[in-house]
Amino acid sequence: MSFHLNNVTFSYRNGFRLTNLSLEIPSGSFLGLIGPNGSGKSTLLRLMCAELKPDSGRVLLDGRPVSDFPTMERARQMAVISAEQHFDFPFLVWDVVAMGRFPHLGRMRKTASTDDEIIREALRLTDVERFADRPVSRLSSGERQRVLIARAMAQEPAIMLLDEPDAHLDLHHQLNIFRLLQRLNQERGISLVVILHDLTVAASFCKRLALLDRGQLIRHGPPSEVITPEIIQSVYGKDVIVFRNPVTGLPNVAIGDGS
Amino acid sequence: MMPPKTRPVRSLAVLLVLLLTAIVLALFIGPVADASSIIIWRIRFPRVLMGLLVGAGLAASGTVFQGVLRNPLADPFMLGTSSAAAAGVMLAGAFQLGGYSSLYFMALTFALLSILLVYRIAQIEGKAPIQTMILAGVIVSLFFNAAVFVFFSIFYRESFNTLFYLLGTLTEADPTLIGISSVLIAGGLLVCWHLSRDLDILTQGEQTALHLGVEVEKVKKILFAAASCMVAAAVAVAGMIGFVGLIVPHMLRMVVGPNHRTLIPAAALGGAIFLIVADTLARTLVAPIEIPVGALTALVGSPYFVYLLRRRQRYGQF
Repeated sequence: MSFHLNNVTFSYRNGFRLTNLSLEIPSGSFLGLIGPNGSGKSTLLRLMCAELKPDSGRVLLDGRPVSDFPTMERARQMAVISAEQHFDFPFLVWDVVAMGRFPHLGRMRKTASTDDEIIREALRLTDVERFADRPVSRLSSGERQRVLIARAMAQEPAIMLLDEPDAHLDLHHQLNIFRLLQRLNQERGISLVVILHDLTVAASFCKRLALLDRGQLIRHGPPSEVITPEIIQSVYGKDVIVFRNPVTGLPNVAIGDGS
Repeated sequence: MMPPKTRPVRSLAVLLVLLLTAIVLALFIGPVADASSIIIWRIRFPRVLMGLLVGAGLAASGTVFQGVLRNPLADPFMLGTSSAAAAGVMLAGAFQLGGYSSLYFMALTFALLSILLVYRIAQIEGKAPIQTMILAGVIVSLFFNAAVFVFFSIFYRESFNTLFYLLGTLTEADPTLIGISSVLIAGGLLVCWHLSRDLDILTQGEQTALHLGVEVEKVKKILFAAASCMVAAAVAVAGMIGFVGLIVPHMLRMVVGPNHRTLIPAAALGGAIFLIVADTLARTLVAPIEIPVGALTALVGSPYFVYLLRRRQRYGQF
């Protein structure tokens, strides 16, 4: 399942514009969207999942405009974990993950044993099996995030879009989430497009990065070509330093002294 | 590991037994003198039927509003839907607009209008926070209440029956009204039950629901229409009876869980039980004087609402 963005332009009423953005995301990608606040990452993601329609240009999913897909069919191909999360009702973890079967089952069909098997597998892979019969509202934010990933997996999508899956998580849980995403990408071949803020994590896990700034795509390529001192300083300011981690050999980002 | 066990059939069966018990009690509690069969079948039976109908309709519509608005404090009375429907009924009655069809048409139109109004007022940048929603409901319900009292003072000032109707009562049993409202409430229930899986997913947020394959805008419109239809039908026969749609769904969610496939029928049964019991109390507590049952449910409902608010502040959840 590949994405093809061709000269996409979109503007909000408040004046923010995403201009002339073109991006190829082939099947099997693990793409990180990075950039400062207000650079257009979320807007780009919302265009890709058809929450927004471009003013001009095209967003194609396997050669077909993404907004032309019927809702159900799109949900079978693409799972989206947005920043929006509601846990006002005491649904059990199992029930929440089972919602991922909706695009396959529809309104009335009962869950079959194959569906149960898929749900179980999603719970197991995200390591939330032991919470299955607890209300999701009682879990910690790291556990909830894993439940949402499990629900996305139950959709059996070819591609997953995630908006800051590591928001509000500590280092340990952050790494857990990204290791899990890496496994989904490598073992299941699920394409991933992830918005993230931590550039060091982005460089460690993503196969490619797209750096946005003020509504424009600044650079797109493997981490070593995007996270360089010149590029990062030009976007994030002179206080940021980039160095090669002696242990991993990957680019790391730290705070400098401003000189 | 197995899917968590739920026993929807057993829960619904228990509720059904409770409902039958409530019906029997409601029929036979109170003095009957010598014309017992007449009092029981001509007077009490239609009342029980109305209680069943109105209770089921209000509780089910409350359940649906709570799910669509992602707000466990939503209730047709709190949101102003009931007052709007009552204003519609009064307007239709005042102008003698050709009988039953215009009465239901006006009630439904006003109910729909009010819920859309609440929804529009409460939305801030595509989100409707719970507190804003409650405030929007209060404003809309104050507005339609005011309209109701304007209509009352112009067209009905001599009518004690109208006043009783406005406070919510099951005393006036018009067979045609009961018939039409039964059909509307049964229809609304079926539609909402059919969409119960969509409703489950809608509680997770509208964007999330969209990405899980729910046709959010379409489903939302159908659910609003079906729930408003049930409210209008309930108000047409019994006036403004508050808090049934708040208390009953909340209690049953604790018993049968939040899945709407079970919760909607459970709430309908529970609402029927609740209102039949409340009405029996309303006519026996200070017999032979009757209290409007709507006043009684509000007396119980308001403290319950406060309890729910407190609970949310303390535990972050209902």
